Amino acid sequence: MKVSKKIVLLGHFGVGKSSLIRRFVENTFSEDYKVTIGVHIFKKNITIPEQGTDVSLVIWDLEGNDDITNTRLSYLLGTHAFIYVYDVTRPATYESLESEINFLKEKQKNTSITVVGNKEDLVTKAYLKQNSGNFGSLTDLYVSAKTGDKVDLLFSNLAEALIK
Amino acid sequence: MNQDERLSILKDILLTDEREYAQKVEEKLRVVEDVINKQNQLSERVNPIIEQKLNDFILEIPKTLGPSITEALKTEIKNSQDAVVEALFPIIGKMIKKYVQQEMQILSEQINAKMNSAFTFEGLKRKFKSKKTGVSEGDLILQELSQPKIDQIMVIEKGSGIIISEYSKTQSIDEDMVSGMLTAIKSFAEDAFEKDNQELQYIEYDSFHIHLQNFSAYYIAVIISGPYNVVFKSKLEDKLLDFAQNYINKEDIKDTDSFSKKLKLFFE
Repeated sequence: MKVSKKIVLLGHFGVGKSSLIRRFVENTFSEDYKVTIGVHIFKKNITIPEQGTDVSLVIWDLEGNDDITNTRLSYLLGTHAFIYVYDVTRPATYESLESEINFLKEKQKNTSITVVGNKEDLVTKAYLKQNSGNFGSLTDLYVSAKTGDKVDLLFSNLAEALIK
Repeated sequence: MNQDERLSILKDILLTDEREYAQKVEEKLRVVEDVINKQNQLSERVNPIIEQKLNDFILEIPKTLGPSITEALKTEIKNSQDAVVEALFPIIGKMIKKYVQQEMQILSEQINAKMNSAFTFEGLKRKFKSKKTGVSEGDLILQELSQPKIDQIMVIEKGSGIIISEYSKTQSIDEDMVSGMLTAIKSFAEDAFEKDNQELQYIEYDSFHIHLQNFSAYYIAVIISGPYNVVFKSKLEDKLLDFAQNYINKEDIKDTDSFSKKLKLFFE
């Protein structure tokens, strides 16, 4: 059986949304920062052996926005899962995390939201522990697009949850 | 033994080693002189070094000279556009001529094939139509040959852009990516114009025309090659509306297999 799911990545500018997707889809990483304009669409097929299902993840990489209310709402329609990305080294990207998540919940009820702190390779575990209060209890996973740490896990967990 | 003889013996004793050494140095110098002065002998020694250096230089060209050459070419082309056009014109002209000749040959072969079928049912039907409408048989053949062709049909869920069903005779595109991108373009255009109840209906891409037929829960994207005109658009719209109204129900939207079967049956 094959199913297709739409996943949308959101977050501020430069938090590494495109890098996370490239790491997952192409297993590549570049230090060069290229700003995403509008939307970029990627696709990756993964198999969930337990269910014997092929999941086609159609991933929408939306342009970064410092205020989520400026996001083009039509891009959010029909989304099966959101991934909200922030940068663990830049407080501006997670200071309004709660209100941004609430906005998403309000606009797309019943759509799961995974909150991810990217660039964990740039900080120590002690730093993450010390700042966990600032990141809020909403964070589901700390990942690194640069090293690839937990990137596959993020998407495969999501795919599994979506077909349950 | 006088003083001179004694001095000579002393010299012999003291300077024998130095003399031998001086002789050896002299000999080596002669060999070096020979090598330098005789071209073939010098080549034997120096050529491998030059060759190695040249090889290294060739390998280094893309890195060291590449950007400068590209920059110089860009500037040169920019500064002498007329000269570039003059140089390229005959080549491009020949290419276009060849392409047109090839296309004309294909057209001529197709017309011949149609003419050969003059006594078939299709041919007789054309003759009858020509007499009835007053349009020459040749024009009718040309009209038949320049018919638009449906290459692919995609039924796409509105909003998500997820493909519900797809039909094509030749699989050539990644329909998941295309349906996502079409939906993003559609969403952007419809949002940007900020007018209610208006929807994107048509996109042109190279020689392809993408007709978008909107319904409430989904839209159908039809990829067409060949001339796309108002008559064809109207016929296509009628066909798509007929399909949506009379063949598709709510359950089919959830059951992609059933949708695909119906789509194939209807358009094949």
